[in-house]
Amino acid sequence: MIEAREITKFYGQGESRFQVLKNISLTIEDGSFTVILGTSGSGKSTLLNTISALERPDGGNIFYDGEDITALSDSELTRLRRDRIGFIFQQYYLLPNMNVMQNVKMGADLVKPAGNKDYREIIEAVGLGEKLKKYPGELSGGEQQRVSVARALAKKPKILFLDEPTGALDEETGRQVLDYICALQNEYDFTVVMVTHNQNIAEMADTVIKMNSGKISEIYTNDTRKNAYEIGW
Amino acid sequence: MLIGIRDMAKLFAISVVCCCAVFVCALFMNYNIDIGAVKDEITTPMGMVIYDAVVATGKVVVGVSGGCLAATTVVLLIFYVKNYIDSHGKELGILKALGYSDMRVAGHFWVFGISVFIGTGVGYAGAMGYMPNFYEAQNGEGLFPDIDPEFHLGLAFCMIVLPTVFFMLLSVFYAFFKLKSPVLGLLKESRNVKIKKGKFDDKDLPFLSDLKRNTLKSRKSLVFFVGFSAFCFSAMTQMSMSMNELASDTFSWMIISIGLILAFMTLLMSLTSVVKGNGKTIAMMKVFGYSRRECSGSVLDGYRPVTYIGFIIGTAYQYFLLKIMVDIVFADYEDMPDYSFDFKALAISLVTFIAAYEIILYIFGRKLDRQSVKSIMLE
Repeated sequence: MIEAREITKFYGQGESRFQVLKNISLTIEDGSFTVILGTSGSGKSTLLNTISALERPDGGNIFYDGEDITALSDSELTRLRRDRIGFIFQQYYLLPNMNVMQNVKMGADLVKPAGNKDYREIIEAVGLGEKLKKYPGELSGGEQQRVSVARALAKKPKILFLDEPTGALDEETGRQVLDYICALQNEYDFTVVMVTHNQNIAEMADTVIKMNSGKISEIYTNDTRKNAYEIGW
Repeated sequence: MLIGIRDMAKLFAISVVCCCAVFVCALFMNYNIDIGAVKDEITTPMGMVIYDAVVATGKVVVGVSGGCLAATTVVLLIFYVKNYIDSHGKELGILKALGYSDMRVAGHFWVFGISVFIGTGVGYAGAMGYMPNFYEAQNGEGLFPDIDPEFHLGLAFCMIVLPTVFFMLLSVFYAFFKLKSPVLGLLKESRNVKIKKGKFDDKDLPFLSDLKRNTLKSRKSLVFFVGFSAFCFSAMTQMSMSMNELASDTFSWMIISIGLILAFMTLLMSLTSVVKGNGKTIAMMKVFGYSRRECSGSVLDGYRPVTYIGFIIGTAYQYFLLKIMVDIVFADYEDMPDYSFDFKALAISLVTFIAAYEIILYIFGRKLDRQSVKSIMLE
């Protein structure tokens, strides 16, 4: 379980200093699908970066299963990300001079014992089994995002953080990527925390946290979760 | 202007290489011209032998050093122009999309030649200033008539103006050649990555081994420069120490200074490019939880064998160069001491090199540590 208490975060210095996160508190249950929903500039990505240990908060505490991660050193945070966390970003951030297999191995090689070959199954699961030797420049946007999904899941994370994963994709490809993520969550039972500005995607979540001007404006749960092909776009 | 002062500042390495090249060439060529003018005044047989040897030495030094440094400058300049086009692909692509011709855009690249002008100018001025000492050292045994350095306009033209014009034209035409790619190719960053499939692509190697190999494979010019820096360090430091009995102290100091400047400038320039070019990769590795050692090691460790190869080649190069000088150029000179491989110089050079290289790698490793995912998200 992830628990955030009174998180604050500032950007800038001097007169240009402004508060991005204003005393945010929230709880994310294990195995849940949580969406952080908000418009551009609402602080949703900063919140994701902070609770995922990519950035340190300026105030407040974040607990992973009761352990305060704000007190951890940089190397301990690295270890935490290595053992428990996976990331998917809007811009994919694949390594351009490495092929699909090599990109996915970036995540897979962090899983012990070394040399595991499970990553091939995940590549198959995202429908790229035929494109193992292709380079990012030879793939469509949707395929690149599926590689980044496989890369993130190959390290068998307990929590998967996604920052606008469909932001750069067309509707059909976006639905396809979300469908893969849901199917893989059912199979591997990890926690999903996704940032999006798309209200429709929130209908796929168990819990929705709405952000506005650095504050949580609303938290609600969906009685029934829709799948990627049932939501509007 | 398309290319700004900050971009020009990055060309410092070119200025330094040009400066060293012109400094050495101007000294020897000016001396050869001046001593040639008083050749008839050398009357003793030993004086004539030494005269022939000194002139031949000058030609060898100018040919080898000047040639090597000129070739290095060509590679450096092409590297910088290519780097500039790769990192400013979007701006250049927009200019092309707006209708600017390839030649009009490429024309702005003449400013890269200014770095050559600055380097050659400083090198020539330095050589002129140092020339009286050099002339004195060349005639240490008093076998030649006393001569004062003369200024030769033709030589200055060949040392400063010709290289500047040549490198300006080279910059423009190479940029023109690079800009001929389609607008979309310049605009889309991922299309700039050249994919060269190799035999290792099919092998299921660990990620870090793949990354190390790909880092080297994708930037071959940097591999050359890192190897070259080790070559310069090895050759020049050992040559300088081995020449104790063969040449004057001034000459030894000149060689070691040029070697160290060249070696460190090239190494720093290469490693800066390595760090810059792998920033995104390192940031993503950190996001995924790779340790500091794994991140910096995967990018920098691959260059270590390259430096040792460069060092070995440098050692062999300086040995054979000195051997040729002693056995062939100065063959008729009776007082020439025997020359054999200097193991002490090798040991000193190797230990110093390893220490310096590891410290520099550590500093650049720390630089890589500072790459954050935030920085790549903001791009």
